[in-house]
Amino acid sequence: MTENTRKGLDAVVLSPLDELATALRNLKTGERVRFNIADENHELTMSTDVALCHKFSIRDIDEGESVRKYGEVIGAATAPIPVGAHVHVHNLKSLRAASDS
Amino acid sequence: MSLKQFQGYRRPDGQVGVRNHLLVLSATGLTGPTGRRIAAALPGSVFAGMPYDGGLLGEDRDAQIRTLIGLCVNPNVGAVLIIGGNPPKVKHLAEQIAKSGKPTQAITLDECEHDALTLTDRAIRVGAKLRIEISRQRRQSCPLSSLFLGLECGRSDPSSGLVSNPLLGLMADHIVDSGGKAVFGETTEWLGAEHLLAKRGATKAVQQAILDAVLDHEQKAIDAGLDLTGENPGPTNIAGGLSTIEEKSLGNIAKSGNRPIQSLLKYSEVPGVAGLHAMKAATYAPESITGFSAAGANLILFTTGQGNSFVNTITPTIKVSANPDTLVRLQEQIDFNARDVFTGEESLGDAANRFVDLIIDVASGTRTWGEVLGEGEEVVSRFGASL
Repeated sequence: MTENTRKGLDAVVLSPLDELATALRNLKTGERVRFNIADENHELTMSTDVALCHKFSIRDIDEGESVRKYGEVIGAATAPIPVGAHVHVHNLKSLRAASDS
Repeated sequence: MSLKQFQGYRRPDGQVGVRNHLLVLSATGLTGPTGRRIAAALPGSVFAGMPYDGGLLGEDRDAQIRTLIGLCVNPNVGAVLIIGGNPPKVKHLAEQIAKSGKPTQAITLDECEHDALTLTDRAIRVGAKLRIEISRQRRQSCPLSSLFLGLECGRSDPSSGLVSNPLLGLMADHIVDSGGKAVFGETTEWLGAEHLLAKRGATKAVQQAILDAVLDHEQKAIDAGLDLTGENPGPTNIAGGLSTIEEKSLGNIAKSGNRPIQSLLKYSEVPGVAGLHAMKAATYAPESITGFSAAGANLILFTTGQGNSFVNTITPTIKVSANPDTLVRLQEQIDFNARDVFTGEESLGDAANRFVDLIIDVASGTRTWGEVLGEGEEVVSRFGASL
């Protein structure tokens, strides 16, 4: 995480390995949002609303695919997730403890 | 920064307190209400009580004695007044606590012919004398190596993992580099991040102990048929945007900074050496931070995303948040505002410098919101059923 790169950005991507961005404000469907991957500028169009601090996909994700934040796997997709969509408990599940059964 | 000092209370055993409490300790469940009444009659004293006694087994038996002694020996406590309904236990506690050199008095219910009102009367008189005795102590300049930080998070959201917990990590590194101590716990919230923690174990044995501790907690969840989603992350975490235990853990462990982990402590175990330590312990904040306080932590740093008013009684608890909405809502709860790091208007390094100054300020006597509002309580973990 590079310091002071968040100013003027709408979301943060913590590692170049990540499929996910975290919203720095409430984001609306259809909105263009800006974020950096490493030090490169990126933009995409939101396909759902995403609240402050919630996550969205920065590329299309297949059902069953492992999903990363902080450069580490935080779970697997339980449905196909299009780019710019909210990623949360409705389409992401933990791979640990009893969640598998 | 390491040349900075704070004003603390030097104790006979070499530890340094950032407060000078008279602790009224109820060693047994039967005397809890009496203990609260005694503490209420002695303004400025703090109360801690063990709501159980008879029938404790195994790990519970050891952990409660270790925790009660630890809370009393904590350097933020200037003097101890123990009451209880179990004379051998009260005698044992008083003997162990007196070894620290701090003024310690004990009165049992049995000595008062089982009359809670007689116990109240005698304890208030003894406690008043102890209060005057410790009020003679003065703060002195102490190095940051005398600080022992407890690192906690509660009602977390992704702002915790992005900003507040990395900020605590910098504080932990700074105090450890200054020769002090830090401890983190919440073992269930190492799931999914244990490979990163284990790498930092100071020895192979510590590395393996960290992995084993996580497996033990994970197996307990599986054996109980518990789906962690909805439990941990809990409903407040999920509403805030955390989706899985892995995501929560990766944010959580940022609190521990980057220094080697010297040991894996049992609940409320006192670390043997300086540096950073991990505690195998429950995640729920009331139990967790009592474990830190009993291990000797003299200051607790506690991050929150959505807000969390709970603090420790004996150890001042500095609340930190970076969530812009929370900081507007909870102005009488959050002691350190990291919003500008979240929005990109302040660097993490600048916030860290401000935070070191607040730590010195609170360690020197400035009150936290939780202290002023009385949001603290001591809660000792349980491990099994009683007989």
